[in-house]
Amino acid sequence: MVKRRRRKAFKAPTYEEVIERLEALGRVVVDQIMKGEKPYFEIPVRSLANTIWDSRRRILRLGSKKAIRDFFSINESKKFMQTVLMLSLMLRARRENDYPTIRDLYYTGKHTIEYVDHLGRKRTEETWYDQRESNAIIQDIEVMTGILREHMGIMHDAKGKIVGNVIIRSKGYRIDLSRLGSGAYAIPPNPDRLEILEVDAEYVLVVEKDAIFERLNEEEYWRREKCVLITGKGQPDRSTRRMVRRLSEEFGLPIYILTDCDSFGFYIYSVYRSGSISLSYESERLATPDAKFIGVAVTDIYEYKIPKNYIIKATERDLKRAKELLSYPWFSSKAWQKQLKLFLKRKEKIEIEALSGHGFKFLSHRYLPEKISTGKWIE
Amino acid sequence: MSSVILRSDFKGLSPAEFFYRNREIAGFSNPVRALYQTIRELLENSLDATELYGILPTIEIDIKIDEEHSDRVIITVKDNGIGVPIEHVPYVFGSVFYGSKYDLKQSRGIFGLGIKMAVLYSQLTTGKPIFVRSSTPDSPIVHEEEIMIDISKNMPIIVSQRIFKKRRKEHGTEVRITIEGNWAMAKRRVEEYVRRTAMIAPYAEIRLRGPDLELEFKRSTRILPNPPRLGKPHPYGVDIELLKMLISDCDANMTLKEFLLKKFEGTGERTIATFLRWSKLNGNAKVKKLSIKDLDQLSKAMRGFSKWRRPRPIPLSPLGEKLLKEGVKKILKPEYISAVTRKASSYSGHPFIVEVAIAYGGEIPVVDKPILYRFANKIPLLYDEGVDVARKVVDSIDWGYYKVKFPAPLAVIVHICSTKIPFKGVGKEAVADVPEVEREIANAIKDCARRLRRHISYIEKIHEIKRRKITILKYLPEVTRALNEITGVSEKTIKEKLIAILEKDLKSRGEAKIGKEAKTKSV
Repeated sequence: MVKRRRRKAFKAPTYEEVIERLEALGRVVVDQIMKGEKPYFEIPVRSLANTIWDSRRRILRLGSKKAIRDFFSINESKKFMQTVLMLSLMLRARRENDYPTIRDLYYTGKHTIEYVDHLGRKRTEETWYDQRESNAIIQDIEVMTGILREHMGIMHDAKGKIVGNVIIRSKGYRIDLSRLGSGAYAIPPNPDRLEILEVDAEYVLVVEKDAIFERLNEEEYWRREKCVLITGKGQPDRSTRRMVRRLSEEFGLPIYILTDCDSFGFYIYSVYRSGSISLSYESERLATPDAKFIGVAVTDIYEYKIPKNYIIKATERDLKRAKELLSYPWFSSKAWQKQLKLFLKRKEKIEIEALSGHGFKFLSHRYLPEKISTGKWIE
Repeated sequence: MSSVILRSDFKGLSPAEFFYRNREIAGFSNPVRALYQTIRELLENSLDATELYGILPTIEIDIKIDEEHSDRVIITVKDNGIGVPIEHVPYVFGSVFYGSKYDLKQSRGIFGLGIKMAVLYSQLTTGKPIFVRSSTPDSPIVHEEEIMIDISKNMPIIVSQRIFKKRRKEHGTEVRITIEGNWAMAKRRVEEYVRRTAMIAPYAEIRLRGPDLELEFKRSTRILPNPPRLGKPHPYGVDIELLKMLISDCDANMTLKEFLLKKFEGTGERTIATFLRWSKLNGNAKVKKLSIKDLDQLSKAMRGFSKWRRPRPIPLSPLGEKLLKEGVKKILKPEYISAVTRKASSYSGHPFIVEVAIAYGGEIPVVDKPILYRFANKIPLLYDEGVDVARKVVDSIDWGYYKVKFPAPLAVIVHICSTKIPFKGVGKEAVADVPEVEREIANAIKDCARRLRRHISYIEKIHEIKRRKITILKYLPEVTRALNEITGVSEKTIKEKLIAILEKDLKSRGEAKIGKEAKTKSV
């Protein structure tokens, strides 16, 4: 068994460090209050306008724009309250060694404030009304502290799966990811808490769709091709992206992404590679700039002569999205411009399953090995 | 009610007979309107008999349904006015066109035509005489009469008369009249009319008692508006009838020059000389000898000459800003009020003054467009609001500019004083779109609205400060609890510090506002 050696060990902050950083944030505010100043937080802005394409590192990054969240300004007052409330909950979880989900945090922090309004009417208000509000506050605290919520021990509904010649250690247990039978290992919400001990693979194949993952796993494609197989089930969550990133960063494995041939598939590839707009502050830890798009490319439809009955007419939404992609700097390579322009011209898309038009084994026995061995990917 | 033209046009018909046949014109068209109109005539007479003579009005209106005839209403109005001398009573109540109708001063129309119409209407519908009990301040007697009108001769009939020795110091007039009327239908309008009268006359005490109604408007001030003084007509307002009237009082030797100088407003030696040169009329002609043709020429020239001085507002009696505010405050109970009395102006030779008040908030109902209260010579105008010039002006104003966002609790009060209100039509319920009047109303409203705007900004800021305080205090417990959990600093310490910061913040904002408010207090 050829073992790939780990290049560098990533160091996630320890829980002691997490507690320190969260406390420090609260301390800043209390210091302001003690000096008789109006307390405020300074929060990096998480919007498209403050998202920067870092062409050198080839990732999306958060810009330098910051917003002031002042308790004494009427429009920010509630968010200020929500921020300290969330901060106290996160800190409580760490101090008591609990692992709440983001939904737990939402419910724990949700309560009713009773007050009398300026016209003398009795009224009530919830600290937050839906989970989007509390999730946004969690993201604010992530950008302020520079710590990902996974590292703070906060769980979410993780959906990624991994299988292959990989041995990991989690909570002291050695787990061999090649001995799971027909199943696969569910990537935990915080993959940084597991140790990747050994990897015996030539590359990582990330597939968009769970069904394709199951099919390739069933025929043990990964064993035959000596690769690691991962799926994020559509738009990947943070832990799947983190896992892909670790395999690339720590073991220098080439990453190949396989998605449907449509605008949404292309965007999913870019999320693995460059990061997403809404979570651009996490790109430094989640993005894998070297990830390659293995297919299905627009040109494949014609080069592989996909039968007509597998070809779908692109919708208005597909075309609109493709036009947006065309303008993103992280799609500015010649190869991508060619693909997108062809897509907009032919207005045709296909699913990965369309490759079965040449037989069920076509994908695993010809398409993928051929593309990887001849280097016909897109970056 | 002016009737100069009608009189000459219907010669041969007794005036009483004429009005008897044309009672709709005077507002006696049906039992509802007639009841309203009768109460109106009596109340207005009572106000004129008091306030024009420096007496604080105390007026009682009593309405009863006749026990024997349920369609008859007995109206009694009692005042503390100057009374009617015994020898005048038959004519005041029983003969149409008695009274000095050509006095040029603002009044509601003291014992004018209206009361006689009421007497005629009573006679027509119930056959009953009018009952009068009156006494003048310096008279030792009180007298009571029952009067009817001989319609064909336009002469009073004294049905009965009694005279008493005055036992205590009293003066005033009590009139009781029985008419066919519909109280149930007229009630709301009467109530509104009395309410509005109380608004324009805050110095009056008015009690209204009806079968199912008891209203009392207390006197809220002892200040009376300055009574109008007698004025002379202005050349711009003359016609042949008026010239004839004025000439009939002159002696035989009066020349045209003297006539113009003495009998008119806005004339002077030099102006008259210019006028005579311009009109090529003979200033030395004896006015008594002028023919109808001469008079026609004269009146046309007087109206056409452009250099007369503007009429002075001597004959006008506006309420004044203070009294107007007092009245509006008393009736509408607003949170804010501003009022303005404009300087006198004139249209075609008639002096007029516009007064406006704007009331906002408080007990004023929230409505989609401003509530309008119209008054002409202190008479509330209840009908035909849609065609009134004041409604037109109010609707044309961009209230948003003055920070009023409808629906809003806003009322606009417009009072026009004039020796001749430019009414639209015979109903005398709507003022016509005379450009001069329209401009004055618009300027007055805008003036008030600017002050209202300052008030609203002030209120907005007060509310903003309040909201601010409430917002911070609302989140304070959660913030102190969380910060305590995070840092261990006690909740009490954090809370005290935050409250100190809040108080300092509110104080600095509040003071800035108070500085601005001082300027708006110029009202």
